[in-house]
Amino acid sequence: MAVQHIVPQWQRRTFLKGAGLGVLAASGLTALQPLCPQSWAAGERTRFVSTWNAPDILDPHVKYDVGAAAFNLNLYDNLLRYHGNPPEIVPWLAETHEITDDGRKWIFHLRRDATFHDGSALTAEAVSFSFARLLTLGKGPSAIFKRMGLTPETIRVLDPYTIEFQLAQPFGPFRMAIPIVSIVNPALIKAHEQNGDWAEPWLAQNEAGSGAYRLVKFDQATGFLMERFPEFWGGWREKHIDEVEIRVIREQSSRTLALMKGDVHMIETLLGADQLEKLEKHPRIKVIPYESMRFFVIRMHNQRPPFTDINVRKAFSYAFNYKSFIEDLMKGRVVRNPVPIPRPLWSYPTDLPGYEYDLDKAKAYLAKATVKINRPIEVHVQAPLEPTVQAALLFQSDLAKLGIELKIVKSMFPTIVASTKTVESTPDMWIHWISTYFVDPENWIGEMYDSANGGTWKASSWYKNPQVDALLGRARSILEQEERTKLYAEACRLVVEDAPDLWVYNTIEYVPLAKNVQGFQFSLVGSGQEFWPLYFDPRA
Amino acid sequence: MNVLNYVAQRVVTLIPTLIGLVILTFFLSRVVPADPAALIAGEGASRQQIEALRQRYGFDQPLLTQLGIYLAQLATGNLGTSIYTGRPVLTDLRERFPATLELTLVSIALATLLGIPLGMFAALKHNSWLDHSLRACTTAGLAITGFWLAIMLQLFFSMELDLFPLGGRIGVPEPRALTGFFLLDALLSLNGTAFLSALKHITLPALTLAYPAFATIARFTRSGVLDVMQRDFILYEKAMGLPHLLITFKYLLRNALTSTVAQIGLLFGSLLAGAVVTEQVYDWPGLGLYAVESIMKFDYQATLGITLWAGVAYGAVNLMVELAQAIIDPRVVRR
Amino acid sequence: MKPMVLNTRMQAETTAPRVRYFPHRLWPVPSGWWLLGQKILRDRLAVVGLCILLGLLSTAVLAPSLAPFPEDITATHPAQRLRAPSWEHPLGTDTLGRDIYSRLLFGGRLTLIISCTVVGVCMAIGVPTGLIAGYYENAVSQLILRLADIFLAVPRVILALAMAQALGPSLPNLILALTVTYWPWFTLIVVAETRTVKKATFVEATEALGVRPWRTILYHVLPNVLSPLIVRSTLSMGLTIMTAAVLGFLGMGAQPPAPEWGAMIAEARLYLPDALWYATAPGLAIFLVVMGFNLLGDALRDILDPRLRRGRR
Repeated sequence: MAVQHIVPQWQRRTFLKGAGLGVLAASGLTALQPLCPQSWAAGERTRFVSTWNAPDILDPHVKYDVGAAAFNLNLYDNLLRYHGNPPEIVPWLAETHEITDDGRKWIFHLRRDATFHDGSALTAEAVSFSFARLLTLGKGPSAIFKRMGLTPETIRVLDPYTIEFQLAQPFGPFRMAIPIVSIVNPALIKAHEQNGDWAEPWLAQNEAGSGAYRLVKFDQATGFLMERFPEFWGGWREKHIDEVEIRVIREQSSRTLALMKGDVHMIETLLGADQLEKLEKHPRIKVIPYESMRFFVIRMHNQRPPFTDINVRKAFSYAFNYKSFIEDLMKGRVVRNPVPIPRPLWSYPTDLPGYEYDLDKAKAYLAKATVKINRPIEVHVQAPLEPTVQAALLFQSDLAKLGIELKIVKSMFPTIVASTKTVESTPDMWIHWISTYFVDPENWIGEMYDSANGGTWKASSWYKNPQVDALLGRARSILEQEERTKLYAEACRLVVEDAPDLWVYNTIEYVPLAKNVQGFQFSLVGSGQEFWPLYFDPRA
Repeated sequence: MNVLNYVAQRVVTLIPTLIGLVILTFFLSRVVPADPAALIAGEGASRQQIEALRQRYGFDQPLLTQLGIYLAQLATGNLGTSIYTGRPVLTDLRERFPATLELTLVSIALATLLGIPLGMFAALKHNSWLDHSLRACTTAGLAITGFWLAIMLQLFFSMELDLFPLGGRIGVPEPRALTGFFLLDALLSLNGTAFLSALKHITLPALTLAYPAFATIARFTRSGVLDVMQRDFILYEKAMGLPHLLITFKYLLRNALTSTVAQIGLLFGSLLAGAVVTEQVYDWPGLGLYAVESIMKFDYQATLGITLWAGVAYGAVNLMVELAQAIIDPRVVRR
Repeated sequence: MKPMVLNTRMQAETTAPRVRYFPHRLWPVPSGWWLLGQKILRDRLAVVGLCILLGLLSTAVLAPSLAPFPEDITATHPAQRLRAPSWEHPLGTDTLGRDIYSRLLFGGRLTLIISCTVVGVCMAIGVPTGLIAGYYENAVSQLILRLADIFLAVPRVILALAMAQALGPSLPNLILALTVTYWPWFTLIVVAETRTVKKATFVEATEALGVRPWRTILYHVLPNVLSPLIVRSTLSMGLTIMTAAVLGFLGMGAQPPAPEWGAMIAEARLYLPDALWYATAPGLAIFLVVMGFNLLGDALRDILDPRLRRGRR
């Protein structure tokens, strides 16, 4: 049966008219776009937007990593702080300090004018409380302090503005590690404490600090917002930033575009070479390079065959195409770092060449190996961080030429870290960076290759060498830098000879900033996320 | 009466389904390669601490016991605590829900407002150019993958043409929180900039979700109308001289829309559970993103919570759809 | 046992004289593949769909010879990364310098393997369980239906993602996850069709004759259920491909360096908007293949199962 045209003419016209109006309305809306400001450079309150990988948890005694620096450095204060590049320790809450008793007793004298955001004074009591909280909770940032045997009992409050730390033995890196600890407000913590949890759930979403900024809003999905704390003891210059927003943008390319569009003013320093090129060409953006101390390492599980055989490890060390990775994939924006100490650091041994790409040598070592490779080797990479995936792919294709099958497993940092707790669950290989948590060789070679650290992610190669342990232990317990340098150089030589891992490059941190941002201070620890000295220059 | 019985019957069958769902997801989420206690403990935790956590959360107990504990918890409305946010899962879900609901409503509204009229006209003007182009459009709409469409839209409209923002829900300070829907809140508090910003931010995600929905709705409307158009009673009404408008909108549409309504309901239900990849691409802070993040991070409590939520949402919407169908077409109840 | 011959009712519904009636079918079916083929070829859109699928099949089979750089599945050439499309590289190169066109062709293989395996296994599960659940009305059938309901209660992507994450990302686990996600549909389709067929007079007749249930199911119910099932399977191939792509996009599918289309799009996102061919090509490939399956499925539905005409006339 033929279909009748039921719809009369006028109905069709009405529909078309409606559709036309709809299209006009839509285009009208987009035309109104210029009315919406996309950045607030001018106006009453200046707002600075940064988009690092926003933290899930705002507790400084639980989280201490590069992303956490956004709140560690701004919402909180520490006794000493790193400023500048190369980084130097400057007095912060502690105006002066003394070391007595051969490096076993440290006394810090606090400044008198520091207050918390709720107005209460910051005294030695608060410092003692904060350290006690850190040590009792025992999470990430406490590791180094526990290793030096610091317990809440060994911290004494001498008077309201003096605090004393008693160490069991001298510990070289102690001063360098002090900036890790943020001072929290004991009154607020105690007010929200439940069942002896040190207010951990509460502090994860709130703050109890004294820093230059205070928390306005925190939303896990979208980031957090901070505003200026007018009574900050450091004072404010005439030009400053009123509000800082740490915004969550998941895709790296979206972050780059947001910076180019002017929606944000700063993005992370771990961009790939392609993104950096785009940004450098942009007229309203400046990209400032700083050589950092953050090297890229490919780990091998030394206690699991085939990596138990040094010949296999050496073969792998010769099989990675360092040059191509650095020059082609990283576009030459990083620096080869063949040893487990970052280049700019004082103990870097300049005379160790390390390994280079040589497939023939690799084959020779494989032939000498007593342990045969008869299964695919798994390498775990961090899916959101592209260089790890690229390195794995590059390695995969070169190892294939040696007849070795490399299986790439995409994972994430917290998952891999959790798996490094035991020998059995640690992956065969994984790829990551080691950032500057504190500026001392202990942060790198110390925590990576001392066999006492087994079960931590830095020591996930499960390397065991009593000689190296002895050297590292000695270096840790003295304070003179020259002496330590010699010890670390020797330890380095031994470690490189054993080839437990592949050390690839040292990062150059390129900080992409909107051009009108001034006063930027880069410091390795925290990658320049201290926002207090920043201001907008409308002329730029 | 029959309708009520019908609905009651359906509700009764929903509950064992949900319980089964919980059990299924529970076992699924426990088959994880990573040790959940170690994940919660975080970096730098010692072995004793991990053990302590294991005992505290009950991971050392046999799986069935853990399941029992969880079900008991569930009965009191406690969905557990997320490992990563440290907050109750229910709080997380409640916070993210308005974003997803807003996006879902806007997408479905868009798809329906375009799909039903276009489908209807395509059917009424059978085999015309409108009909053919609509069929081409809808066939394409069903074949296109959501995330690719999202990326392409983002690429052209945001990156190249800079008409819309890249992602997020709003670019200016949020309007006063009255309902949780930015569009509504902005209107209610007469905040023009917020409204415009929220509108611009929701456009691309809504278009991404609306296009496949529109394809389905248009198809079903078209076939429904075509079906009904050929029935005798339409011919009879035309012969009786009833006005075309009346025939079309009262008799034709109502009979034709039963399957379309069902489809709209299904689409609504599945979108309510979170449009996973669209939210990922556009940084839309909703339930889909939460689901992906909790699954990827092995946050088993959150995964359980969101799966349960998805099941409940889907089930509830299906129920409402069946109710609506029963009202529109009472024959359904008899079957 | 010889098939039953029914007469009056069937003959009243004659349409074209050429069609022969298979006595144990409920509605007229064109006899022979030739007629089926003819019907398909008469429909333009179906032809398009068929061509696309034949194209997919042939590229999947011939990929090693068609691809200009077959070694680019594993080999990397970092020096040639992110080149724009050229004569040498028709679709350009990706972030590790691999030829995108070659990887696309091999990705077609992967896609075909995944979708065929998933649909095959789902049918293998769905047909027996559906037949049993539809024909009998006992506890077993209730159990099967409940199970199917439970699996259906979760959104597809979340279930597949949770499974893939729990099992560990790899190709076999992806197939397993997708199978677990989609089997309820097949079962429920078979159940619905079985119930319809069961009501037919001839089934009652077989029961009356004392034919054992399993024979009835196998020889009389199953052939009638197969047609709608084949139609739905074709349409669900498209869905499995899309879900596999979503999982690949999220990193839960075949692991690198496997040239899975969804994973390629995810890689490409980082290089937008400059390297736009990198993201567009795999997406178009997915689109074409799914479209092909949909068009063919629509055509099959019109021919094999006229009752189900929805959306096409």
